[in-house]
Amino acid sequence: MTLRLLAASALALMIGLAVPSQAQTQTATATAGTISVEDWTAYKAKFLDPSGRIIDTANGNISHSEGQGYGLILAFLANSVADFDQIWTFTKTELLLRDDGLAVWRWDPTKTPHVTDANNASDGDILIAYALSLAGETWQRPDLTSAAQSMIAAIGKHVVVGTPGGSITLLPGVTGFKSTEREDGPVVNPSYWVFEAMTRFATRDKATDWKALSRSGQALVQTARFGDRQLPAEWVSIKQSPVPAEGFPAEFSYNAIRIPLYMVRAGITDRNLLRPFMADAGGPGLSLVELKSGAVSATLSDPGYRIIPSLVACVVDKKPLPQDLLRFTPTDYYPSTLQLLALSYLRNIPGGCA
Amino acid sequence: MKTAIVATAILTSLSTTALLQVRDSMRESPQVSLAPAPAPLVDFRSTGSVPPAAAQSNKDDRLGLTSPGKSDRLSGLPVKHVRSTSFFAAYASEAPDDQPILLAQADTSPNGSVPAPAVPAPAAVAAKPAIDESALRYFARQGDQRRLDAEIARLRALYPDWTPPADPLAVPNVGDPQLDAMWQLYSQGKYAEMRKAIADRQTADPSWQVPADMLERLSVAEARERLINASDLKQYETVVRTAAETPSLLTCAEVDVLWRLAEAFAKTERPERARDAYKYVLDSCTDPAQRLATVEKAIPLLPKPLVDQLLATERTGPDGKGEFQEARLALSRQTVANAGQDPKLVVPPADLNAVKAVAEPDTGNASDPRLLGWYYIRRDQPQDAELWFTKSRDREESAEASQGLALAKIALNKPGEAEDILYKYRDESDDIRKVYMAATANFLASEPRVAIDPAILARMAQETAETRDPAAAQQFGWYARDLNQHQTAAQWFTTALQWKPDDEPSAYGLVLTRNLLGDKAGVREIQRLWAGHSTRIANLGEPVEQTQANRRIPAPTDAPLTGPASAPLTASTTAPQATISAYTGPATQTTTATGAYSAAPLQGPTGANIAMSDRMAPADVNDANRGAAIQEAYTTTRTRNAAVASAEPRQSAESRSGGRAPQGRNCSTTDQYTELTGQAALARAWCLSEMNRPLEAAATFEQAIRTGNAAVQREAAYGQSLAYLSRNMVDDAALSASKAAQDPKRSHQLEVDILTQRALGFYEQKRYNEALLALDQRSRIATERVDLMAIRGYAYLNLKRLGDAERVFNAMAAVGSKEGYKGLATIRDVRRLP
Repeated sequence: MTLRLLAASALALMIGLAVPSQAQTQTATATAGTISVEDWTAYKAKFLDPSGRIIDTANGNISHSEGQGYGLILAFLANSVADFDQIWTFTKTELLLRDDGLAVWRWDPTKTPHVTDANNASDGDILIAYALSLAGETWQRPDLTSAAQSMIAAIGKHVVVGTPGGSITLLPGVTGFKSTEREDGPVVNPSYWVFEAMTRFATRDKATDWKALSRSGQALVQTARFGDRQLPAEWVSIKQSPVPAEGFPAEFSYNAIRIPLYMVRAGITDRNLLRPFMADAGGPGLSLVELKSGAVSATLSDPGYRIIPSLVACVVDKKPLPQDLLRFTPTDYYPSTLQLLALSYLRNIPGGCA
Repeated sequence: MKTAIVATAILTSLSTTALLQVRDSMRESPQVSLAPAPAPLVDFRSTGSVPPAAAQSNKDDRLGLTSPGKSDRLSGLPVKHVRSTSFFAAYASEAPDDQPILLAQADTSPNGSVPAPAVPAPAAVAAKPAIDESALRYFARQGDQRRLDAEIARLRALYPDWTPPADPLAVPNVGDPQLDAMWQLYSQGKYAEMRKAIADRQTADPSWQVPADMLERLSVAEARERLINASDLKQYETVVRTAAETPSLLTCAEVDVLWRLAEAFAKTERPERARDAYKYVLDSCTDPAQRLATVEKAIPLLPKPLVDQLLATERTGPDGKGEFQEARLALSRQTVANAGQDPKLVVPPADLNAVKAVAEPDTGNASDPRLLGWYYIRRDQPQDAELWFTKSRDREESAEASQGLALAKIALNKPGEAEDILYKYRDESDDIRKVYMAATANFLASEPRVAIDPAILARMAQETAETRDPAAAQQFGWYARDLNQHQTAAQWFTTALQWKPDDEPSAYGLVLTRNLLGDKAGVREIQRLWAGHSTRIANLGEPVEQTQANRRIPAPTDAPLTGPASAPLTASTTAPQATISAYTGPATQTTTATGAYSAAPLQGPTGANIAMSDRMAPADVNDANRGAAIQEAYTTTRTRNAAVASAEPRQSAESRSGGRAPQGRNCSTTDQYTELTGQAALARAWCLSEMNRPLEAAATFEQAIRTGNAAVQREAAYGQSLAYLSRNMVDDAALSASKAAQDPKRSHQLEVDILTQRALGFYEQKRYNEALLALDQRSRIATERVDLMAIRGYAYLNLKRLGDAERVFNAMAAVGSKEGYKGLATIRDVRRLP
């Protein structure tokens, strides 16, 4: 079944994704084989160290739990067991060290020991657990599934908490964001909601209400919108109604740009939710916006960034994607990762989005 | 089944050498003689082959302590062996439920072989499988004897019927280079790549079966990495969990892992478990160095009774000495060392005598007598302390022993010797400096008065000024007073008060001296300040007059310390030094710690010093609150001055010099100016300043300083400071500022400017910590300008103190500073990571 779908989507790719098609299928499933061998080979040549760590080329070649999580997901989407095992070995032995079963977030090749900060980052944990769960079941690897289940439980136990409003929310990390730790706490990061992972967790872990968590994330994207362009801030205080958190710049920036990608990949295509993220579709770049002034603080022209608004426009308004965004040439770790996630999504829709 | 489980236990590279050591030590020590000596191992060692049955029986005897079928073997075991297994039973109860570790751990061997992964072995026994010799071949070809031995032992344990090849190095290559490559990755510790290689091959050749033991060894190796990383990160639960999941790691071959596990137990308040883990090593492992290290590691982590239980496993060597003798001594040393910190600790005589026994002989080291020195110092036995510290110093000069000896000498009322001993170490540490200053103060306070060598006096004055030590300054005052050098005495008392405004004895000394010198106004001033706080000051001289009530409190620069050139105190070189320090003082002086001399007897007056103690601690100022109140009075005044100075817009250089340099005067020519003196030189210097020729101006100001009267000197020193500042010659500016006392407003502004330039200079040189220090100093005396806040923010940023940087930039952004927003954006970029 998986193989057939894979063949079908590969065929669709050859025909050309941008060809309009009325067969609009929203599939929220991450499918092995939706990243081409060529793209994955190019990606790992640039960002995967033989030791199994994904290198953040724009940040002093450090590694982090987010990167390992992305690496694992991409290896799964590329259907490469060997690369997955390689990345997982590093993740397990070098990052998955915390007493609470979560991963330390940062690994620096220039420091000894390489991990100097034992804090976690919840999105990294979610990405890793999600990848393990996908790979474990698809490839029938009980070792991976079991590791996934432990991590999902740990995430639910340590970073999913109740809100002042009676809902539940996702803390960005175990320490530093709670209402007891900050004047304006809890402080959350809407881009840490990997919605597709939460959909999956919901059917595999009953201890936490993952659906409610996903809903609270969507509500956050709906309500934590600021400025003329109605874009979410990176860091949001939800002590009362959402406001940009103290001590962080009130900005739509590198974190928040992946929010629409996560939503689209999870099959959340609500026009109202996605509209603010489409403004730059087809344009010269993705705007980072200072929410107070409305000023554009940077315009990101890397295809990995530009593909996001175009993908949203394609899914919501059936606007064809510019062809150049469909070609993958690795640049830096972060945009290249986002682009592969977007391309993988497109290849999973027979006929493409437009 | 049991046997097979036990057999696989050899799995993690237990070398035959280790087994031999087990046997040897077993012969020597009663507890291990329970296990029969595994003689066949010797055969194996010499012949390259081993009768399987013999090897098996050997293992049987030492393993399976708690397995039901072998319970008869338990009956003869000493209690300690039972305890050792109970460690694993208890330990197992902590493991996740789905981990079958109880079984595996119950089989843990006390001889360093490995407890059992239960999976591969049963099949091995049941079906007589093809034996995978690939690792053997690989290690043989690599000439890796240690791993080869381990592999032979492992295979022999796995497959009792297997006979190792007579010449392992001649094992034929059966031709699986891919497998070799995997083993190579294994031996290089490249586990991620090995995983990848295995998976790649499985994908390429679905019929290929990865050797089960290869997978097992790989996951054990990964677990080891993970455990060590978690241990380094103090994630002790992960350490325990990983150990529980991988019991085959817990072997003598991996004694470091066992130590880390023990540490994890100890750090998570499970000392008995930690004891059990250490005990397991002691019961199981034979390497003498490892055994000793085990006890030494346990000592700082476990309470003494548990350590004693470990020490009880001591074996006696052929030389009749206990193997833990060194550890016992270390324990004694630690006990004595702890007592050297805490006077209340009671040291058992055995420990004290043990340390003395090694400290006494001439062959001893310098640190043991030092430990004893501290022990006695803390027990008010300075004579003993003096003895031991002297012995330590005779063996090796050290700052620490000198510090201790100086303390002893002070306590023995030999402060001059203390000063002499410690002078060369005075800059080694803050503590040593404190002791040095205590020696100085006590030396000066010695009664009856002794004539102190002028050279010694000079260096003590220098250090007093550098340390800004009010107690020593006060004693200089009394010393000068007793030598009838009253001007000098007044200066020292004044200086002491600048450094410690609530120092009543100095105020008393000063008021006595002013009274003697007939300075009535000065007397009244002090009396006004101390009204209600010191009866002896109030009772001195004439009654306070109302008209004096509003006089300003003396600021530190109000009383210029011109350097008492008059004789025996040799203050001509030292007091100006004090002046320099005093100059930069106002910002920090009130931080002078009271009670800094807790180690020295200065505060608690000794019997010999009754007169002195009266001077130092008059009854009516003992109340700390009063002292604080007075201190506050001084501080408030200064703060107010500072506020005034910074509130007034600073005059521009033009307007400042305008009044001094006649308009239109041409100072651009250089003719004759070297001969200008006094006022004329000053005028020309200001003119040069105005023409933006600061270095020439500085030189001319120097002329004025050299040749002018006090007023000219003051003006010139100020001008010279500004000139240097304009060229960013900060240190020169500071020096100039010290050449003559300035009025408080000016000196404050100069100091602010100097600190500003310092901060900027350090920042430019990327010396961020020092820049922050200068900014901190500056911020104590003046409001931080926004541009300097930016410097501060970026300094933090460069030091990766993101939280601090963010706080600063936020504050800036709050007042609409663009630089603040920029800074925040930079932080955000740095933080964009998850």
